[in-house]
Amino acid sequence: MSRALLSKLQREDIFACAQCGYCVNWCPIYDRSGWESTSPRGKVFLLKRMLDRNGPDVFTSNPRMASEFVQRLFDCTTCGRCTEKCHLEINLLDLWVKLREISVRARLAPQSVAVIEKTLLGPKNVFGMDSAARRDWATYTGAEIKTREQARVVFFVGCVTSYSGRSQGVAQAITAILNHVGEDWSMMDDEWCCGHPLAVSGATEAYRHIAEHNVRIIEKMGAETLVSGCPGCCLAFREEYPRILDRKPGFEVIHFAQLLDRYVSEGKIDIPKLQAKVTYHDPCELGRLGGVTEEPRRVLTSFVENFIEPEESGRIGRCCGAGGLLKATNVTLSGDLADKRLSMLNNTGAEIITSACPSCEQNLGEALSKRPDSTRIQDLAEVVAQQMGLM
Amino acid sequence: MSLENAMADIVGSRGVSTSYLERAAYSHDLAPIPRNITRFFNTMPDMIVRPDSLDEVAGILKLANKMRVPVIPRGSATWGYGGAVPTVGGILLDLRGLNKIISFDDARGLLTVQCGVVWKDILDFLEKTRWELPVYPSSAPSSTVGGFAATGGLGYGSLEHGSLKENVESIKAVLPTGEKAFVGPKTNWISPDQLFSSEGILCVFGELTLRLVPRSHTAIPFLAYFDRLGDAVEVANNLAQETRPFGLILRAFGFVRARKGETLTGPNDVESGAIIFGRYSSSTNKVEQSMDTLAKMVAEKQGILRPRNEAEFEWGERFYPLRIKKLGPSVLTSDVIVPSSQLEEMIQYAWQLGRHASVDVELEIIWLSPDRVLFFPLFLSDERRTFRYLSHSAITKKLIDRAIAVGGRSYGYGLWNSFHFKTSEPNRRRELTDMKRMLDPNNIMNPGKTLQAKTRFGLALPKPLYSGLLETLWQLGRWF
Repeated sequence: MSRALLSKLQREDIFACAQCGYCVNWCPIYDRSGWESTSPRGKVFLLKRMLDRNGPDVFTSNPRMASEFVQRLFDCTTCGRCTEKCHLEINLLDLWVKLREISVRARLAPQSVAVIEKTLLGPKNVFGMDSAARRDWATYTGAEIKTREQARVVFFVGCVTSYSGRSQGVAQAITAILNHVGEDWSMMDDEWCCGHPLAVSGATEAYRHIAEHNVRIIEKMGAETLVSGCPGCCLAFREEYPRILDRKPGFEVIHFAQLLDRYVSEGKIDIPKLQAKVTYHDPCELGRLGGVTEEPRRVLTSFVENFIEPEESGRIGRCCGAGGLLKATNVTLSGDLADKRLSMLNNTGAEIITSACPSCEQNLGEALSKRPDSTRIQDLAEVVAQQMGLM
Repeated sequence: MSLENAMADIVGSRGVSTSYLERAAYSHDLAPIPRNITRFFNTMPDMIVRPDSLDEVAGILKLANKMRVPVIPRGSATWGYGGAVPTVGGILLDLRGLNKIISFDDARGLLTVQCGVVWKDILDFLEKTRWELPVYPSSAPSSTVGGFAATGGLGYGSLEHGSLKENVESIKAVLPTGEKAFVGPKTNWISPDQLFSSEGILCVFGELTLRLVPRSHTAIPFLAYFDRLGDAVEVANNLAQETRPFGLILRAFGFVRARKGETLTGPNDVESGAIIFGRYSSSTNKVEQSMDTLAKMVAEKQGILRPRNEAEFEWGERFYPLRIKKLGPSVLTSDVIVPSSQLEEMIQYAWQLGRHASVDVELEIIWLSPDRVLFFPLFLSDERRTFRYLSHSAITKKLIDRAIAVGGRSYGYGLWNSFHFKTSEPNRRRELTDMKRMLDPNNIMNPGKTLQAKTRFGLALPKPLYSGLLETLWQLGRWF
């Protein structure tokens, strides 16, 4: 690992870390493992030790520590709660992401991460499935979709929602609501994966190639707004594309929960009241990292009569274990985190657990399927569309 | 059977690690120690063991005794004196798995908790009750009950309620031989007092029953600014005497940098200014009276009393004195307990040290009683500049020496301050030495610290050598 790949601020921050441990108990991975080396504090200490004692090529000159350390880097959901809790305001999340990139370059990353670039540059989706099947979800669900040359709003579906049977209802719900309000909308003619997984796999050139493609098409459509039901896609377009393309795309990027909130406040949709007990799980990439915590709650409380807030929500929302490629690198740990979060959500006594991220819903759903439990997990868009009788 | 397998038999294989990476992660505490110093000690544990019950702790200690292997108890490692750092390797006992609230007696205000419970969790737990903690540490967001009991037990609330030991009903301790002992007020062979502040060399604090205090009717935070540090000190001292807030803290930063002249004859020469903040919690009448007294005192010294929302924010900041580290990136400090009458002397001395070393200082002063304060200056340094940092590390020794000279003492000893124990508290050291011989005949519990710093070679580091070395580095430091 070259020191030069870490920014000056990052190198300063590694030494500035007070080792106070205020982040430790907030880390969902430490919470499950209990080992210091899995905690943010532990990782910073180990990194400092590696930087302190060796030449510039720290990973390769520390073979005794490097491979295990890299494993710890990928045993992380990049949920960002450590950054949120660090009172020295160290951007730990950026540090983990940068170190992952460096480990990929040093060929120390797990194989499941190393193949991502190849997969994305091939069929242009994270599952490596046939790109021609990207819109099959519309046939399966019977959704009425639109593909036009020009549109005010572009709906970016995303890989998980397009290909995963469990999540295709989200796309169906979103399109139904867009059609219901008479929105001037369209899908992309040739949607590629947003490339967000590449942000943590170090394939900068591949990521730029994908970002350029997606932005070019959307700008050509004259879109004012890009909307997606996937917080990861939103984060890619809003935070990562400007950095990688060195310019801001010429359209606004919002999550569908924000668009729903606008529709509710403008009176464009009227959602019949729902009696059931409902709770909401904040996806890390939407809530903490995207700053969208109020909008989904405003939508829910506009029609849910019995909304119950779970513990550890909003900006300090607890990760469900689906993020940061953890499902690819350590599926057991990912499932363990989902189980823990599901228990917290179940403690509210809710009959419906809502969220606004297909990956969260999948991971929580898998944990739920192992329990004799009648609770439903549904995306916010699905709950709204069903309540309005649109699906 | 190997030691690792034997430990796995006690705690399960998931509770034992001999991985190099893991051992490295446990080889330190809060303080960055230069490699030149740590090479005198084997700070790398041989294995990490994570028990989650008292029975398991007892089993580990019995086995360690039999095999004569050192055991180093560790909570959250938020102390900076090396109390949880091995000196000769051994078994690092990570006690954070003992994190259960055992019982809550609402009628009597008693809370029994395991040693690995974090103070913040207790504060959260009690929010829904009619009881409060009488005292908790400034590192409450991460530090553990056992760690605080082992390292002094002085913190927020001490000004009103004393130290932790005055607010504990009983202890379930595990002694170095693995024997479990209940230590309460009626125990005649050992007292809780003897175990408190023993820095992990006498026992593992398995469970503590805390005596809570009824939740106050009124709790109001306060915050005042002063242009002159000396005024802030005077007002804070008077407040501690006359109104006894639950918490009273003084903070000042940059006073070395701010001073333009060459001499400092008193804190009022300092141009940095200071804040005092804290919280009153009592009956509504008493709090109102105290706030009136505060307002008068602040006005007399031309201070500015800030609005409630700012005071609330600052009270929330009580856990974050280390924010300053961002400017370091390292800090050097020694927290010492000194008579409040000697504060001026200590402030001047800290200023002189900062001037000599050409580093800036944050002052953090917490009132522990009307006449005692925890003096906690943080000197900015940079551990990456090894020689300069080594030279600066003499500051910690000098502060303790001066505290002792003015009738104070070090807050704790651990590994790095153990040289001062004999001068600072000779009677306490004698008592602790006797207790150590009685309870830990094989010297397996956290060896090589507190009573005497022993190197990895089994030799004690002689104080004259240590003092001479630091003094030489200190004098040479001005050239680097």
